Amino acid sequence: MDKDDWSFGESWRVEPSDPTWTGTQTAIKEQRVEEWDDETLVLGIETSCDETSASVVRGGRDILSNVIASQTELHGEYGGIVPEVAARAHVEALTPAIREALVRADATFWDLDAVAVTLGPGLIGSLLVGVAEAKAIASVLDIPFVGVNHLEAHIYSNFLGNYSAKWPAVVLVISGGHTMLVHARGHGDYEILGGTLDDAAGEAFDKVARFLGLDYPGGPEIDRLSLLGNPDAVRFPRSMVGEPGFDVSYSGLKTSVTNYVRRLEYEGNEINVADVAASFQQAVVDIEVAKTLAAVDHTMVDTLFLCGGVAANSGLRTGLEKACLDRSITLHVPPIELCTDNAAMVASCGTALLRRGIYTSLDAAPDPNLPLK
Amino acid sequence: MLVLGIETATPQTSVAIGSEQGVVASALVSRAALDGPQHKSGAIYNEWLMPAIRFCLEGAGIGFRNIGGVAVSLGPGLYTGMRVGVATAKALAQALSVPIVGMASLDLLAYEVRYSPRPICAVLDGRRKEVFHAFYRPSPGGIQRMTEYTVERAEQLANGIASKPGEVLLVGNGALLYREIFEELGSSVEIGTMGHAFPRAAALVELALPRLYREDFDSLDGLKPLYLRHSAKRIQWERIRESRSA
Ligand SMILES: [Zn+2]
Repeated sequence: MDKDDWSFGESWRVEPSDPTWTGTQTAIKEQRVEEWDDETLVLGIETSCDETSASVVRGGRDILSNVIASQTELHGEYGGIVPEVAARAHVEALTPAIREALVRADATFWDLDAVAVTLGPGLIGSLLVGVAEAKAIASVLDIPFVGVNHLEAHIYSNFLGNYSAKWPAVVLVISGGHTMLVHARGHGDYEILGGTLDDAAGEAFDKVARFLGLDYPGGPEIDRLSLLGNPDAVRFPRSMVGEPGFDVSYSGLKTSVTNYVRRLEYEGNEINVADVAASFQQAVVDIEVAKTLAAVDHTMVDTLFLCGGVAANSGLRTGLEKACLDRSITLHVPPIELCTDNAAMVASCGTALLRRGIYTSLDAAPDPNLPLK
Repeated sequence: MLVLGIETATPQTSVAIGSEQGVVASALVSRAALDGPQHKSGAIYNEWLMPAIRFCLEGAGIGFRNIGGVAVSLGPGLYTGMRVGVATAKALAQALSVPIVGMASLDLLAYEVRYSPRPICAVLDGRRKEVFHAFYRPSPGGIQRMTEYTVERAEQLANGIASKPGEVLLVGNGALLYREIFEELGSSVEIGTMGHAFPRAAALVELALPRLYREDFDSLDGLKPLYLRHSAKRIQWERIRESRSA
């Protein structure tokens, strides 16, 4: 299959070779083997962290529905995601989310051709809920069940509703859980160039926000305050910038922010929170832009995909837009609701896997540390 | 009516399909007798559950279309196991458009020893040195629950039993785990054997059938596991607060 081929022009089949499709179900299964085309309807389910999401996507690219039930408020009182709270909430939210996704897509269960779900990485208690429900639905409908890597799904958020997105590309996946640069050559052909050595970027945002006494979630609060502050007020370190490689580290930056604030407090000086927020955000943006551009130079591609929750950050968007314009790199940034965790990207990624004949056995287990391969 | 029952709330877990004529297929695995933390986790049932359900359907020579209702054990028990069971049951009921019924794991335990003349106390290991329990008395055709579902230390349960006159039958893996504590109460206490240590899906199907016939269904969206501890949030919250002040 052509790496760039999303046209679904030729017919493609999924053969019932999986041992779990044997026995009395086989006869039905054989009748159901069918062509996969741009009318293929896939139900996506995403419960890897603190968003419960269900979505129906047609042909891997057209979003018919994308329902997201956020738990942000639930975790707000704890100032961070509590795994047990998240797992409990998914059990309650997923059934209505699936129903709503079907209603909005004007589809029934029996219209579906496959079910895709996030297998990992993520919180194990949360992943288990989505995987259990996806297996059950696929089993009842006797359609393929596809386990998807959450990071790979983020990459596919760039293809949803966006027919100009093309491989090969450098992908910056940046969120509360991940920060990584990937050289994506085509469907299922990825090379991880680098990632964070400690905190994910979004995690650093949340920790600094908490230290500054801002509300949870801290990322959007820092972004909002940054517009009011001076990004050059404090020169925080840009660690690892200029060094070879594509890894980043946020522990030093975090420490220098806390040291700076504590020193001012100790000296009895007033702290301009907006200036601190703006200067911190600028440091993160400078680090990410520098490493991303280095990755683009290294791979010699001309396309950049931005995805993950921190892609919503206005400073990062502006910084990358400017840098890409200067170097005539095509930048793709999905709309905000596709940057944060969502099931549409899972359905899209699952469709691409199915097209290559890949699907998952019903005894598969979610993996909280599933690597991107 | 054929009912599919799912019980994954404890280290012994089972699936059964049955009607008023009895169980037509069942599968059961127990990790209780095996060592190692991987056998104590409810997560492992995620791998086993759907293949086991398909095994039962195939064994009985039927398909999902023959299932008229789904019954699920809500716990109390292992949090992860409960979630896998409840999530699976909900999705099955949703995709099949059939009613769902949730039952407490402790009710299933007590139901299977209902022919005892003694009052019954169902006791499951709740970890953290605690047990989940409830008291029952046999009633015509079944059992009647006398107390709330409770989580407390085995010693507290033993004190509660000691303070009341009369005999009692303790069943469940919690009773066996803390056997020494309960045996100190003397001959008024009888402890059920390993054969009755865990709730079973066969009992779940039997108990769910009358509820399904009288249309006493649970709401699909509202159904959730019986955790009994609301403190998980609070414990976490306190931990976060501690780490923040540290
Ligand atoms: Zn994510």
